Amino acid sequence: MTPYQQIWTIARLELGRVFFSKRSFWVYILAIFPSIIFLGHALEANLKKRNWGGDRVTAAELLDKVQSGMTDEQVLALAGKPVSDTTRKRRVRRNDEDPEAEKQPEVRRYVMYFDGKRRVDLRFEDGKLVSRNARELMNFEDDRRVYATMFQFFYLRLGIFFGCLGIFINLFRGEMLDRSLHFWFLAPVKREVLLLGKYLAGLIAAAFIFGTGALLSFLSMVLPHDPNEVATYWQTIGPEHAFWYVAAAALGCVGYGSVFLAAGLLLRNPILPAIVMLIWESINGFLPDVMQKLSVLHYLQSLCPVPVPLPNDMPAVLKMLLAPAAPSSVPVAVLGLLAVTALVLFAAMQSVKRLEINYGTE
Amino acid sequence: MSAPEIVFDNVSKFYGEVLGVNRVDLHIPPGITSLVGPNGSGKTTLMNLMTGLIHPNSGVIQVRGLSPYAPEKLMRILGYATQYDAGPRGATGFEFVHTGLVLFGFPKAECERRAWQAIERLGLTAAAKRKVAGYSKGMRQRIRLAQAIAHDPEVLILDEPLNGLDPLVRAETIALFRDYGANGRHVILSSHVLQEVDVFSDQVILISNGMIVAEGQIKSVREEIHEHPSQFLLHCRDASRVASLLFAEPHISEIKLAPEGAGLLVLTRNREAFAAALERIALSGIDIDGVIPTDENVDALYEYLIGGGK
Repeated sequence: MTPYQQIWTIARLELGRVFFSKRSFWVYILAIFPSIIFLGHALEANLKKRNWGGDRVTAAELLDKVQSGMTDEQVLALAGKPVSDTTRKRRVRRNDEDPEAEKQPEVRRYVMYFDGKRRVDLRFEDGKLVSRNARELMNFEDDRRVYATMFQFFYLRLGIFFGCLGIFINLFRGEMLDRSLHFWFLAPVKREVLLLGKYLAGLIAAAFIFGTGALLSFLSMVLPHDPNEVATYWQTIGPEHAFWYVAAAALGCVGYGSVFLAAGLLLRNPILPAIVMLIWESINGFLPDVMQKLSVLHYLQSLCPVPVPLPNDMPAVLKMLLAPAAPSSVPVAVLGLLAVTALVLFAAMQSVKRLEINYGTE
Repeated sequence: MSAPEIVFDNVSKFYGEVLGVNRVDLHIPPGITSLVGPNGSGKTTLMNLMTGLIHPNSGVIQVRGLSPYAPEKLMRILGYATQYDAGPRGATGFEFVHTGLVLFGFPKAECERRAWQAIERLGLTAAAKRKVAGYSKGMRQRIRLAQAIAHDPEVLILDEPLNGLDPLVRAETIALFRDYGANGRHVILSSHVLQEVDVFSDQVILISNGMIVAEGQIKSVREEIHEHPSQFLLHCRDASRVASLLFAEPHISEIKLAPEGAGLLVLTRNREAFAAALERIALSGIDIDGVIPTDENVDALYEYLIGGGK
């Protein structure tokens, strides 16, 4: 039996335990959470369309004619009956010491129209239109940006991070707790081969769970949109985006998996490496260029196909924490991540050779 | 061909500040070797060192010429039944044994054949399709033993293997040890059931506080303990006459009447002189029906050397 066959055999034996471990069942929740959010968003939009549809739909051309300064009566005469119409009257208190109070409107009216795609919110103060806000219930561009933000700030930084923590740290530490690690140590297998077999099992499971989770959430974001928009997207950049999101998720498992596998060999308490790693990944933007290359997140962010829009008014410190400091090209990102992984796995191999089993007293 | 001994060369193991074993020098030949000592004396530490589950702080270990640092070679000739179940969670008895064989690279059919053979040998065929989690303590012992012997190892290491076995199965298991030990293989086991170890062990290693107190065949170990008198039971008709004659011998330290008139219990500090004295008594015409050494068993050694801590 060659070492490669042994690695595969170990991975095969481990897969069931990794996929169905009670200890890391919450990993599935992390993986499908974004899909639930985007499906919920689509469901809500559809429900609103259904509720506001039919004879309550106002032609978009009419709504576009609504201008600031028009009276509520003029608007209602132009656009017809709105979907919702709420009036609030201010209780006026005379206060001689506060001249500003005199300037407050006494009647505010909120009117909402729906043109089949957009909801248009109009605010009248004392009968005059002062604010007009139109937004689509489902905006493909917006949703793609939201997805990119969710993917980088939740999925990569938290979902995959903690998911890999749950899966990989248990590969050795979990067996130590279950008092079953000696099963592997008593097999005619080099410790390094055992480590790679277990890593492969964890990687297959994590990449499957989080790759599928990324793809599902991506589809949940894309598919509820207008079929024409979706078709155009699929014919242009859609497949590439889908590929890189799934690839970034899988490569995240490659990187974080190696780190937490090594941590599981060295430390009893998983909280400690998780905190240290989280801090390391978070402050990466502040570090010198060379140090940044030792971060998993640094490479993953460079692989994401849609840059995350950071608001201009965001504090500089927060911007540094959230934005990749010096993005790498895709080949450099992939190779860099694999190099970091190889380095960590090499260290883990040295550690596993010295690992001892001592479940308790004899 | 691998060297047929298990060698510990000045091996020490510490768990932090706590002593595991200290400066152990051992040459264990093939056959059945029992590790005997009180709880915490270092028996399991020695076994774990042999199998590479733990590593020594100093010293060298060789198992039939192989280093415990090379599990890919060592585990092909070694089977270890620990005190803990080792196998997939929720596995049946068959899966428990079979899974361990998969990593040896045997073809699938060969894995199955060996698994069934080992299970049958331990008398668990009827229970093989049941989950190990539902096994009794004795059945778990046997399935672990089946797992350890399934690849037909040259060295079989067993941590408290007789715990929880009923008398019939215990006898069958001991027969298995004897069979293994008789074929030039190593069987190394620890046990608190001292009488059983006494019966089937070829050699014994007495360990206390991480130190080897004595090692070798039970009889030779006993003979090494010169400072402690040897005890014999004499079967004779004229016990009082024999007693008075023996009292005249300077090496005799104590003579008692055995219970129920079975004869005399004699304590001597010189076995050779005692044998010569008995010969003289017999030649003088006094019948001596039998001489049985009563302390050439592990219990007695255990008490002498370790201080009665069974």
